[in-house]
Amino acid sequence: MSFITTLIGTVAFAVLAPIVGCLLAGLDRIISARMQGRVGPPLLQPYYDVRKLIAKDDVTVSGVDGVYMTAALVFTAFAGGIFFSGGNLLMSAFVITMAALFFIMAAYSSRSPYSELGAGRETLQVMSYEPMVLLMAVCFYMAAGSFNVRDVFGLPAPVIFATLPAFIGFLFILTIKLRKSPFDLSTSHHAHQELVRGTTTEMSGKTLAKVEVMHWCENVLFLGWTALFFLWGGPASLVLGVVVALAAWFFEILIDNNFARVKWQFMLRSAWVMALVCGGINIVVLMVA
Amino acid sequence: MQLIAFLILFPLVVAALLLVVKGDGLRNVLVGVSAVVIAAASILLAAQYLGAAWVGFEFSSQAVDYLACAVGVAISVAVIGFGMKYKNYFAVGLAIVQLVGDLVFEFGFAHAAHVEVGLYVDSLSIVMALIIGIIGSGICVYALGYMIDFQKHLDEHGEGMTELQRKDRRPTFFALMFLFLSAMYVIVFSNNMVWMFTGWEVTTVCSFLLIAYTRTDEAIANAFRQIIMNMLGGIGFLAALYFAVVFTGTLSFQDFVLFGLGSPWLVAVPVCLLAFAGLTKAAQMPFHTWLLGAMVAPTPTSALLHSSTMVKAGVFLLIKLAPLFGVCMVASQMTILVGGITFMLCSFMAISQSNAKRVLAYSTIANLGLIVACAGVGTPEAIWAAVLLVIFHAAAKSLLFLCVGTAEHHIGSRDIEDMDLLFDRMPRLARFMMLGIMCMFIAPFGMLIAKWATLVSFVDSHQMALVLLLAFGSAATFMFWGKWLGKLAGIAGSPENVETTVHASEWVSLALMACIALVACIALPIMSSALVEPYIVSVFGQLGEDIAVDNLWISSILAAFVIVVFVAGARGSKAKRADVYLAGVSVDSDHRIFRNSLSGETEATSRNLYLDGIFGEGIVRRPGEVICAVIIVVAIVASGIVPPVLL
Amino acid sequence: MGYASKSPWVIHYDASSCNGCDIEVLAALCPGYDVERFGIINTGNPKHADIFLVTGSVNERNISVVKQIYDQMVEPKVVVACGICACTGGIFHDCYNVIGGVDKAIPVDVYAPGCAVRPEAIIDAVVQALGILEEKSKALAEKKKGA
Repeated sequence: MSFITTLIGTVAFAVLAPIVGCLLAGLDRIISARMQGRVGPPLLQPYYDVRKLIAKDDVTVSGVDGVYMTAALVFTAFAGGIFFSGGNLLMSAFVITMAALFFIMAAYSSRSPYSELGAGRETLQVMSYEPMVLLMAVCFYMAAGSFNVRDVFGLPAPVIFATLPAFIGFLFILTIKLRKSPFDLSTSHHAHQELVRGTTTEMSGKTLAKVEVMHWCENVLFLGWTALFFLWGGPASLVLGVVVALAAWFFEILIDNNFARVKWQFMLRSAWVMALVCGGINIVVLMVA
Repeated sequence: MQLIAFLILFPLVVAALLLVVKGDGLRNVLVGVSAVVIAAASILLAAQYLGAAWVGFEFSSQAVDYLACAVGVAISVAVIGFGMKYKNYFAVGLAIVQLVGDLVFEFGFAHAAHVEVGLYVDSLSIVMALIIGIIGSGICVYALGYMIDFQKHLDEHGEGMTELQRKDRRPTFFALMFLFLSAMYVIVFSNNMVWMFTGWEVTTVCSFLLIAYTRTDEAIANAFRQIIMNMLGGIGFLAALYFAVVFTGTLSFQDFVLFGLGSPWLVAVPVCLLAFAGLTKAAQMPFHTWLLGAMVAPTPTSALLHSSTMVKAGVFLLIKLAPLFGVCMVASQMTILVGGITFMLCSFMAISQSNAKRVLAYSTIANLGLIVACAGVGTPEAIWAAVLLVIFHAAAKSLLFLCVGTAEHHIGSRDIEDMDLLFDRMPRLARFMMLGIMCMFIAPFGMLIAKWATLVSFVDSHQMALVLLLAFGSAATFMFWGKWLGKLAGIAGSPENVETTVHASEWVSLALMACIALVACIALPIMSSALVEPYIVSVFGQLGEDIAVDNLWISSILAAFVIVVFVAGARGSKAKRADVYLAGVSVDSDHRIFRNSLSGETEATSRNLYLDGIFGEGIVRRPGEVICAVIIVVAIVASGIVPPVLL
Repeated sequence: MGYASKSPWVIHYDASSCNGCDIEVLAALCPGYDVERFGIINTGNPKHADIFLVTGSVNERNISVVKQIYDQMVEPKVVVACGICACTGGIFHDCYNVIGGVDKAIPVDVYAPGCAVRPEAIIDAVVQALGILEEKSKALAEKKKGA
């Protein structure tokens, strides 16, 4: 039964998440522009970019990066489908890691020094945020009594009251997951950088379009995770969730525009310390309580 | 019953035959046929007892008891001999302790307890029998082709070696491999703890001889390290036998467990000692170095026999002890902590390694740590996870070892950095290797499902420290597998294919391992209900709250999808090929050579991140060894003190 | 109007310019002119770029680099010669080592003269290039359909 739900959820996510994600990305660019005293592009600019990329000529370095990116996209859709159909949070987190892995392999497959370095840093990023993601899921499980997302609607109060430390830790690594500055080490959306374009240096046309769409879907999924902390059985639950997700989005844009990129050592250490402190404290409290 | 006897005796007969067979052709036939026979017999056994609870067979024999004792004495004497020859007196000392202990036990204590039901079968021993029968004998087949190359290499490049090192001792090698299989069967089918102990010691000494195969200084040193560590465990096992006889009056494992559940304070010490024996065999910190030594030793095929099979004996014993861990808190905490710490620290150290064999060794130890921790937790969910981890680890890891062995012979290196472009140079092998790697660490493959169950059981049993150890260890796992996978994935223009010279026997076993890994992943839900759940029910009387079957099916479908990507998709598109961007003028983009600012040619190179300053062996190893050693010592002492205090 | 002209990503290369035009190119990309209004983004990567902004008169040392960057850009692509040196060689036109203009190395679509070229002129040139980009994009679509 829940198996069918997951499949339906995946298809629905694959259709809806790019739309929402695209609008969010457009909003991001407008808000960023306003923060810098500019007008910024039209709201649909990310959509235009992707349409243009699709129309470009098919050129590839390795010949397999497109296939890997398709796989990454499918896994992202699955992860979103599992989550938004009320499935298992941990499963969703694992499957999205799979998408990250395929993205990394697509980058490695070109053998370009720039994408290899970017891919190496991307694995570092995954390693940095993974403990906190796991601990976040564990805290959610202990607070909600289940890994199943749908069960939050039976709760008397949102889990945030029991998982505040874990939520703070999660917000910290959310910046890494969303590939926002100061943690956009592997590839950046802003101008060019010392790695040229990092992971996506050798990707062009349709493959690059897939990367963009994958980012949109990821963003929607991660904001969904954020909102999850604030959902309960009450009436205004979903509204609050959306508000929190948008607030988190705005917060990430603010950080993105105000911080310079850091070195990987700082990223790894700070993310692990956050995981250990925030996640650790939260787990201890939940286990003792 | 006959089948079990056959599985134990047949490899022995084959081993004896192999000792006298000198020709390559005859040996190939003999090994090939008997491998198929052993595998078939194991499958038959599994089919016969599928889903069965514990089935005991009344079998006891004075003759077998004395034989077991004689084998033990022979082993000790052999070790003393080797120890004297190579002047390793610590090993001699241990062997003497063991020899005396063996004899005193046999003639002073053993006959006080008579074991009616000598042999048994349950779902766990079926799982183990399948691993030994299919993967173990598959490895023997693989070794055929491998050892031909190996010997050829010795003949061609062995100028600086002694006569002994260059001698073709392949008959001994294959005899040992089959003797080893037989001993493994003894361990998994014996209810009589003395027989089990004998099998235990035989695997130790087989592995000693296999590691020392080339007789180089390095091999000898590693072999002695192995035997010293495992003999410590063996002596622990022997001491546990004394306690069992004295306190519980039985040497039947089944009765021992039942007795322990009734009066845990009486079995606290033997359980702790048995767990200690399991930890040494499973190469947990601080005993992990013997497995590392076995890896870099120049007999890779036997090394993989250890990693996929022998270390499983250690975790097998721990899983069997799991019900007692529920009542013996000290032993349980010791096992949990040592396993959890080993998992995390060895995953860290794997990041800093570029030698593929060492990465595999560390990841083996880390995974065993996870299984050990699960066994220590001892809840139905944890044991479910532990058994699945055993299965997936055996399948995926042996595939990886075979791949690395073959790659080493054909590209001349076992360094991961040299595996650049393997996807082009050895396309089939690289795909097998990637499959193995993915099976090891990533959703939706079985290994991760098992890890998930592990996490759930840790949370449910309120093991806070373990949850943290698992979270950080898993993240490290992603790093070291991910960068290896990436190195394999690189593709350039048209390098030459060096795959054509791989022996057919190697392909057969590689394909077999890959199939097992795949089937295990896709058929996960079925395997769980047919093989693992009956064991849980038979031991605990109930199933734990598992991961819902739906999730298993979702992961099974996703796994199938990944395989399609690799088999069908990753052939390369017909799109126009472009050169890599080298921020200047590329001269030769396949070799990443560009024209530099002085009009010379420069090759762009890049290495993966090894983070040696954070996760290097020099930083991580010592603290880990010390902490684990302290935990073990404290636990053994405490288990001797705490129960009387409680009384 | 197609999408090619709504999302022009540019790459900039200095082919032995005196740096005057480079400063102006960067000025044009600064927030003051907010070229992102037209979807223009500066990428440092030929694989992602649609419009190639070249400054300088191109000499024997860097002609191969100009060609390589051009080759690595994915069709449809447009080249804008920024500044009089890039257009004709400018004051360096009879220099012994200068080939005299970008169009001696690669096909140029739009010429933006000036010494140094003004940001407004660059933006105008890019906007003009969008029309050409659009045409090329249509031609490519036709070719894809035909193939």
